Amino acid sequence: MTLVSERRTTPRRTGRPRRAPHPLRAEAVHGFAPWAGAAVFLTLGVLLAGSAEQWQGGWTETRSRLHEGMLIVLPLASAAGCWQGGRERRRRTEELWGTVSRAPLARFVVAALPVALWTAAGYGAAAAGALLATWPYATGDRPYFDLLPADLASAAAAAVAGQVVGRVVASRLATPLLALAGYVVLGISSTVREGAGRLLNPAFPVRTDTVPVAWQPAAVTLWTAGLAAAVVLAHTARRRYTALLPLAAATAAGALLVQAGDGVWRTNPAGSRQVCGTSTSPQICVNARYEKLLPQVTAALSGITGRLEGVRNVPVRFEDRPGRPGRDEAELPMLVPLGWSVVRGRLTDPGQYAWEAVQALQDRMDCGAVDARVHTADDAVTHYLAPSPMEKTFDEHDAAGDEAQRAELRRRLAARARLTAMDEDERRAWLSAYFATAGDCDARGVPAL
Amino acid sequence: MSSFGGFLYARSRTVPRTLAALAGTVGFAVWAAERMDTYLDTDQRAPIVALSPLLAAAVIGVSLHTPSDELDRTAVRPWWPRRLTQLLALTALAAALLPLAVLGDATTFGPPAMIRNTLGCVGVTAAASVVLGARLSWLPPFCYVGSVVLASSGVRGPAVTVWAWPMQPGPQPGAWLAAGAAFVAGTALYAVRGARPEGPRT
Repeated sequence: MTLVSERRTTPRRTGRPRRAPHPLRAEAVHGFAPWAGAAVFLTLGVLLAGSAEQWQGGWTETRSRLHEGMLIVLPLASAAGCWQGGRERRRRTEELWGTVSRAPLARFVVAALPVALWTAAGYGAAAAGALLATWPYATGDRPYFDLLPADLASAAAAAVAGQVVGRVVASRLATPLLALAGYVVLGISSTVREGAGRLLNPAFPVRTDTVPVAWQPAAVTLWTAGLAAAVVLAHTARRRYTALLPLAAATAAGALLVQAGDGVWRTNPAGSRQVCGTSTSPQICVNARYEKLLPQVTAALSGITGRLEGVRNVPVRFEDRPGRPGRDEAELPMLVPLGWSVVRGRLTDPGQYAWEAVQALQDRMDCGAVDARVHTADDAVTHYLAPSPMEKTFDEHDAAGDEAQRAELRRRLAARARLTAMDEDERRAWLSAYFATAGDCDARGVPAL
Repeated sequence: MSSFGGFLYARSRTVPRTLAALAGTVGFAVWAAERMDTYLDTDQRAPIVALSPLLAAAVIGVSLHTPSDELDRTAVRPWWPRRLTQLLALTALAAALLPLAVLGDATTFGPPAMIRNTLGCVGVTAAASVVLGARLSWLPPFCYVGSVVLASSGVRGPAVTVWAWPMQPGPQPGAWLAAGAAFVAGTALYAVRGARPEGPRT
C-alpha cells in the first residue's frame, strides 16, 4: 500500500522561539529599582521646590543646591540598596539561590546594578529638572556640570554598598537605621570647617563662588566607587583578596583629596569679572555671573544717579567683586545669596535696594552710634536720594513717642525740608561737601544743614 | 481582650523590642543634646527636634508588621481596637519621653515642638504602613522630613509653617495643624485598614 498522504507530526515552526528576558532587564523593569529611583527623584523634588527662591536663576546656586541634596540622596540610596539586599531573606529564597550555578558575584551584580542605576537616574532626572527650572530665570553665566559625574557615581556606589549591608544584617530596623545614621553622619561632617578629612565626604557643601579643580570629580568618583567595589568583592568574590585592588585605588584617591586640602577648590574666574554700565554717575557694575541684572539694578538706582549728577566727591562706580571696594568705589548692595534681594531673576524690592545703595555711598555702617548732627544730615540725604521703605513707620513711631523722640523727629523733618528747598546749585555744592566726608565718623567735617 | 491575649499580641508585634529601641532613641536624643550644648543656643536643637521623632516613628512603624496576616484576617474579633491601642500607646510613650532631650525654653525647639513632630511623624508613618507595608513605612517620612530639614533654612512665605512643620520652632498654628492632621488621618487609616500585607514578591 502506498502512503498517499501522511499527517505532519512535527509542529510547524512559526519563527524563532522567544528568549527569556535577561535577568538584569527583569530586575531593572519589574523590581524595586524603579521605585528607588522615583523615591530619590521625589525627595530631591521636595528639597528643590521648598528652597527654589534660593537657587532658581543662578547657575552656581543650582549646582551647589543639587550637590547639597547628596546629604539625603546618599543615605536614601544606601537604604534602597539595603532593602534590596534583604529581599532574598524576606522571600525565604536564600537557600534556593545557593543551589544555582551562577557565581555569587554575578548574582549580586544582577540584583544591585539596577538599584544603583535607577538611583543615579533619579538624581540625574532631578538635576535636569533643576537646570531647566533655572534656565528661564538665569541672570548670566553658564550651567555648571562639574560636580554632577561624581555625585551620580557616589549615589550609585552608596546603593551598592547598602546592598551588602542588607545581605549581612538581618534586622527589620537595619534599613531605617542605615538611612538615619547616614543622614546624621553626613550632616555632622558637612558642618566641619577644618581638617582636610572633611573633603572625603562626597556630600560636603560647595560654595557658590568656587569650582573644583579638573581632577576632583575623578578623585571623588574613584574614592566612593572604589570603596563600594571593595566591600562587594570582600562579600561576594570567590577570591576575596581581589578586594584589595579597588581598596588601594580608593585609598590613593582619598589620600590625594586629603593631601590637596582646600586646593581642590579654586575661585570661580567668572566671579572676579564685572560688567559695568557707563551711562550713569556713579557707574554701576554687577558681577559677571549676574550680568543680566544690570538693567534692573540701573533702573532701581536711577533715582540716586539722577540726583547726583554734577555732584563732586561721590564714588566713581558701584563695584560688585569679592573683597573690599577700591578707592573711589562704593560696594553695590548684595545681590546674593539669592532669595533676598533677587528671586528668580527679579529684584524683589527696588526701593529697599536703592536705600541700601545710599548707605553704601555714605559708608558709615561701621561707625556705630554717630553724632546727632551727622545722623540728621545722613537722614536728610537718604530721604532726598532714596528714602527707606520703613521711613514713614519710624517717623510715626517717633511722633507717638516721648518728648525727646518728638524733638528728634522735628529736627529730621526740618533738615529734610531744608535740603529739598535748596536750589540746584546750592544743593549740589552742599552734597559735594557732604560726600567729601563719606566714611568719616567724625561730626566736624559734615556740613551743617 | 484578655490580658494573656494582649500579651501575645504585644509579642507578635515585637513590642518589647520596640520599647527597647524607643528607649535607645530617647537616650541618643538626650546624649546628642548634651553633646551639642543646646542649652546655650536653643536654635541648635532643630536637628534633634526634627530627627529624633523621625527615628521613633520609624521604630514604631516597623513594629506594625504582622508575620501572620492571613491568619489574623480569619479572627472573629475586630482588630482595630488592638491596632489603635498599640499605635496610641507607643506614640504616647515616645511623645512623653523625647521632650526630656530638649527641656527648658519651650518657645524655641522645646518640648511642644518635639511632641508635635512626634505626632506628625507617627501619623505619616502609620499612613505609609497602610500603603507600602510596615517594613517600608519609614521611607516617606524620612524622605519628607530629611528634605524639609535641608530646604527650609532661610525660606520665607505664608505657607512655610505648614509644609515645613518639622522645622518650626514653637507654637506656629500651621505646623500644629499639619502635624495634627497627619496624626489623625494616619492613625485612623491604620486602625481601620491595618498595615499592607507583604506578598511573596516583597
